[in-house]
Amino acid sequence: MGFLSPWFLAGLAALALPVYIHLLRQHRAQPKPFSSLMFFERRLQSSVRRRRLRYLLLFALRALLVALLALAFANPYIKKPAAAAGAESRLTVIAVDDSFSMRVSGRLEKAKSEAQAVIAGLPPGALAQVVSFGSAVKVLTQPVADRAELEAAVAAIEPSDSRTSYAELARALRALGASAKRPLDVHLISDMQRSGLPASFAELELPEGARMKAHPVAAKRVENWAVESVSAPHRVYDPSKVRVQAVLAGFGTPASRRRASLVVNGRVIESREVEIPASGRAAVEFSRLELPHGWGRAEVRLEPSDALPEDDRYRIAVERLEPRRLLFVEEAGRERAALYFKTALEAASGAAFGIDTASPGQLGNVALGRYAAVVLSDAGSLPEGFVKELREYVRSGGGLLIAAATAAAARAALPVAEGRVTAVRYASREAERFLSAGAVDTAHPVLARVNRLEGVKFFQTAVLEMKGGRVLARLADQSPLLVEQTLGAGRILVFASALDNISNDFPLRASFVPFVEQAANYLAGLSEAPSAYVVDTFYELRGTSDPVSTMEVFDPERRRVLSLAESAKARNIQLASQGFYEIRRANGRVDLAAVNADRRESDLDPLPADAVSLWQNTGQGAVSGGAQAGSVRWSLWWYVMLGVALASLAESVVSARYLGKEKLS
Amino acid sequence: MLQRFLSPSVLAGISGLELVAKTVVDGFVAGLHRSPDFGFSQEFAEYRAYSEGDDLRHVDWNVFARTERAYLKRYRGETNTLVTVLLDASASMGFSSQSVKKIDYARYLCASIFYLAIHQQRDGAGIIVFDDEIRNFVPPSTRHGQLYRLLHALEGAEPKARTDFAQPFVHFQQFLRRRGVVVVVSDFYEEASKVIRTVEPLRYRGSELLLFHVLDPQEIEPRLDGPALLIDMETGGSLEVSPEYAAREYREKIGAHIAALRDKAKAAGIDYFLLDTSRPLDAALREYLSLRAGRM
Repeated sequence: MGFLSPWFLAGLAALALPVYIHLLRQHRAQPKPFSSLMFFERRLQSSVRRRRLRYLLLFALRALLVALLALAFANPYIKKPAAAAGAESRLTVIAVDDSFSMRVSGRLEKAKSEAQAVIAGLPPGALAQVVSFGSAVKVLTQPVADRAELEAAVAAIEPSDSRTSYAELARALRALGASAKRPLDVHLISDMQRSGLPASFAELELPEGARMKAHPVAAKRVENWAVESVSAPHRVYDPSKVRVQAVLAGFGTPASRRRASLVVNGRVIESREVEIPASGRAAVEFSRLELPHGWGRAEVRLEPSDALPEDDRYRIAVERLEPRRLLFVEEAGRERAALYFKTALEAASGAAFGIDTASPGQLGNVALGRYAAVVLSDAGSLPEGFVKELREYVRSGGGLLIAAATAAAARAALPVAEGRVTAVRYASREAERFLSAGAVDTAHPVLARVNRLEGVKFFQTAVLEMKGGRVLARLADQSPLLVEQTLGAGRILVFASALDNISNDFPLRASFVPFVEQAANYLAGLSEAPSAYVVDTFYELRGTSDPVSTMEVFDPERRRVLSLAESAKARNIQLASQGFYEIRRANGRVDLAAVNADRRESDLDPLPADAVSLWQNTGQGAVSGGAQAGSVRWSLWWYVMLGVALASLAESVVSARYLGKEKLS
Repeated sequence: MLQRFLSPSVLAGISGLELVAKTVVDGFVAGLHRSPDFGFSQEFAEYRAYSEGDDLRHVDWNVFARTERAYLKRYRGETNTLVTVLLDASASMGFSSQSVKKIDYARYLCASIFYLAIHQQRDGAGIIVFDDEIRNFVPPSTRHGQLYRLLHALEGAEPKARTDFAQPFVHFQQFLRRRGVVVVVSDFYEEASKVIRTVEPLRYRGSELLLFHVLDPQEIEPRLDGPALLIDMETGGSLEVSPEYAAREYREKIGAHIAALRDKAKAAGIDYFLLDTSRPLDAALREYLSLRAGRM
């Protein structure tokens, strides 16, 4: 017998309470003066032995109640020797590794034949269960004694692209052990990849009483080269300016010369010979990425092929787009702001945007539909028709940046946005020489890389009075500096200063470039997405505020991933296999996601034998062996609590009886 | 009817020892039958010729006028005795389980004896109050106002601690030079043989010795509801006592002690009388008078 929380046994000290109540308190002698004690003898008098417990039954019940409560908190259990009952009392779990590394030729077949051999060796009537594991555990059968069902489950195991996670397997085994309420015999059939170990060995703990036997299907280390990573933009506007960089890695390999090729839509664009050091890495850069307009399925390929050819290719999805147009509106003769804005945009986004500048007087014939966003740079009075058209443009999803300064202050209200400029502050005229930025919401995409606007001096700022909206940045005096409002599906950013170097020195600062780039991307609705994903990561299909619309997702095998219900509701999908996923949205837009296996799987170095032995020992049965092997804890908590209930009931009855007697007496 | 007034609990309600003594003695005497064995003093006995050195105050001047011879008039009263009461005022005498403490009971007894001796018998009376030592001493006398001096001494006899019973007795001899009646009133918490050995020398001058053993009913037959922590009133020591012990062993021991005192006193020619503080005083007075009669 043992206790899960033995410290609670200290509560047995509370037994002193009923003893005190019954023995000491009840029988405390009252002091009485007496003329002389010469006829009393000490040896017969002063002794607790002479005191008699009154209400012996009540005392016994109260002591029992306290003792049982302490026992209940200590959570007692007994160990039942499960092994004594034979194989029927154990559950055999056959865990077959189906991770990406099992694609090395012959490994999975060998693993399946090992599993079949284990099934054949099961004693008659023994319960067994088949699971496969990679990054997650798939339970392929319930605990059954039917060998045919077990064999069919093993035969159905297919290789996956996920990575090995022994921690996930151990967690699943603990859950299986708890639900089966019997000790496990685990047969681990795997290539025993070292990279599958978790950071903490404690995560590998097997359930109590479990015995694990490893069946390694890869006896020695295998040489393997892989394209470890590729760096390329997700969107390309000018292919001539794009560079594609790849890292090539060798795992347990000698120094060798390999050929790396950049392939786009099945056509080799560029090839290079690369020297890869022994078990080392080498970088290669491709200077061209020739793409037709639209999505391109590109990959960096390593030749010649090796034991694991699947990781010799690294897929990337690249979209070639025409540069977006931005309409930059400012007063005639004040082209300074447009110059800074255009220069910053060109420096940052690799010709993602082209800028058309116009003065308020030239806005009569502008078709806003062809612009990704509109910038009003301290524009004064605008044509009424343009403002109306601009409002509709924003409402339908367009973006608008308003830089409000002196000219805007002359207007009664800001165009399109809900608010107005009440005054313009000239810091140099007042006590302060300049104002600096205070609180900046760096979590917002527009301000993520502006370094909190440190060092930027604002000399002229507009005092904004906005109706609603979210303040993204404030000046040091807490007045709003950048405010975001939404109108319909569109976004409006209001900047409380001008974009030139007169009102502030922001255009001269390094943070101006990322600010302009991110603001343009944000207003144009261009999200930053990676060019490649890793297997088992999640791909976001729609944001929480996106309108409900159906979408279809096709996996690399051109199978639909989403059910009908999921296509209208699912917010994300897990990318389960490597290849190109195609996401078709209701508005006709098609996205492409390139998915590659986790490159930790490319390291085929097996676990050392002592690590496997250590893991096996985490199950108590394996440690103790012999007679104690396979013992299971049987909690006595419920029985103790039942005793507590009965004792308290009996105590109530007995004490009521005694109290009744005392009252009568 | 008058017996009722001799009850200690009734006497406790009377303030003033003189009144108590008067109530006791008058009630007691009124209930006595006349006896030829004793008569009160002041009765003429005889004339004796004056001889040199006799006190001139005792000369019968009427006879001298008629006969011109000096005769001394002798009374029976001259055979009156001296009563000396030794009152134990140790702390144990302060015990009571009822309305009357042992010391109060002893005071009533002493006051009654003094009243009886001085008013009824014209005896000289004195008192020694003692605990560890002699606390108060009023020499026996028949002088006017003696009763009040004695009662005053009784009033001041408050119980105090004592550890040794025998210690003060060695000094008593010097105060008891004349023979008479010596009454010892105590609870005698000492071994019987030691008590007798201590008081016996008081008889050497021919005095009659009477021991009044004053005990509370609880001391004779204690009754405890449950275990009790008894605290010795003299030593301050404490002892836990079970009711079973008090009901059996203690009673046997105190009974043996009383019997030993009685036997050893009788063997030594000392009168011994056990007084239960719940009992009236008349029995004690009767005992005293019988002893007094023997002296006459």
